[in-house]
Amino acid sequence: MSCDRIAAAIAAAVSLAGAPALAHHSFSAEFDSNKPVELKGVVAKVEWINPHTWIHIDVKQPDGTVQRWMIEGGTPNTLLRRGLTRESLPVGTEIVVDGYRAKNGTNRANGRDVTFPGGRKLFMGSSGIGAPQDGKDPTEK
Amino acid sequence: MKSFSIAVAVFLLAGAAALAAAQEPHKGSPPRTPWGEPDLQGTFSNRTITPFERPANVNGREFFTKEEVAAMEKRAQEAGGDDGRAKGSRQDVERAYNDFWWDRGTKVTTPRTSLVVDPTDGRVPAPTEAAKMRAADEGKRPAFRGAGASGRGTDTWLDRSTFERCITRGMPGAMSPTAYNNNYRITQSPGFVAIEIEMLGGTRVIPTDGRSHVRSTIRQWMGHSVGRWEGDTLVVDTTNFTDKVLYRGAAENLHLVERFTRVGPGEIEYRVTIEDPTTFTKPWTLAIPYVNTGEDMFEYACHEGNYGMEGILSGAREEEKAKP
Repeated sequence: MSCDRIAAAIAAAVSLAGAPALAHHSFSAEFDSNKPVELKGVVAKVEWINPHTWIHIDVKQPDGTVQRWMIEGGTPNTLLRRGLTRESLPVGTEIVVDGYRAKNGTNRANGRDVTFPGGRKLFMGSSGIGAPQDGKDPTEK
Repeated sequence: MKSFSIAVAVFLLAGAAALAAAQEPHKGSPPRTPWGEPDLQGTFSNRTITPFERPANVNGREFFTKEEVAAMEKRAQEAGGDDGRAKGSRQDVERAYNDFWWDRGTKVTTPRTSLVVDPTDGRVPAPTEAAKMRAADEGKRPAFRGAGASGRGTDTWLDRSTFERCITRGMPGAMSPTAYNNNYRITQSPGFVAIEIEMLGGTRVIPTDGRSHVRSTIRQWMGHSVGRWEGDTLVVDTTNFTDKVLYRGAAENLHLVERFTRVGPGEIEYRVTIEDPTTFTKPWTLAIPYVNTGEDMFEYACHEGNYGMEGILSGAREEEKAKP
């Protein structure tokens, strides 16, 4: 077997093995892939609950009013195990949310990608014991 | 004073020797409880990136090569960012949220090319004709019996899976790895072994005192388990499942034989043989490493904030209104 063929076999095996498992419930049933949202707001409240965490943010509108949005994340257990708690995301912190709006039309979205304004991901680089690393965060080692 | 110092020194040396012994791999028999049973206690994780079934492209090989393992682990470390994810697709929405919430693991915990170890092709045996006919009639049942993160519709919460309804992932689904919360705590007392499951919560209390199964009219989501010790292995026989949840098409006729064997100070090998002649054309077996973590378990109070169910059903109502 040539080196190229071995490499191809490895790549194929790896790609099959790496198929992602899904969340506790269907996100595509809850959120609308046709309604992407980009939200910049400040943390108003963190619901550190199961099955999924909800981060409440206040988003300032062009007319000066404030809209409250709820952002769905994952289980707190994973982060708790890495030493992170809801206090790791204090009220008043400015964050940016890239996600999809809820199908029911309320101000809810999934936290597809939640970052600080500079692009650094939330909950990364704090203690990071065994945290999955995607190479996007420049503070990751 | 001198004798006291010697006593302390002897005590410390004995402690160091005991510690060294505890850290060595097992040669011979594993540790025992004070009442003489094999000691399986601890907190464990079964997360793994080893595939459930053998991928077609390994050409039937039972084991990955070292190079393949290294490539898979490297990819697992690097994967998961949102770079390159096509926005606006159902698949992207299903990916849900940032990777820091997930805990799928980044290790090939067994170099086998599949968790399915029997049959030897590493694949789940074909379903029986009866199972295929039942599958076609699933829609007529009063509630969806699937245990994954999905549903058969959105008319009622009963159209959603038992996982989404916070009930169970079924058996042995509850003992198999998923995307996070792959944590288990085993505790023992004379005559009992308890297995606490983090994902969806719940504790299996397994008697090992020789009692038999409850009568067949009693049906449970997790079945009824009785255990026994075969040498250093805990063998658990589980029957009496309910017909309200499916495991790969199997329900009330499912019969499981699980084997827990300590294969080193840091690992238990979990094996489960899955038998149901009304569903599978032959019995099959999974082997999953349970790796000691020494970490705490955390509660997963799924009903506490299952806003997702509300969002799924109310989202469907809004979509109906929007249709002409």
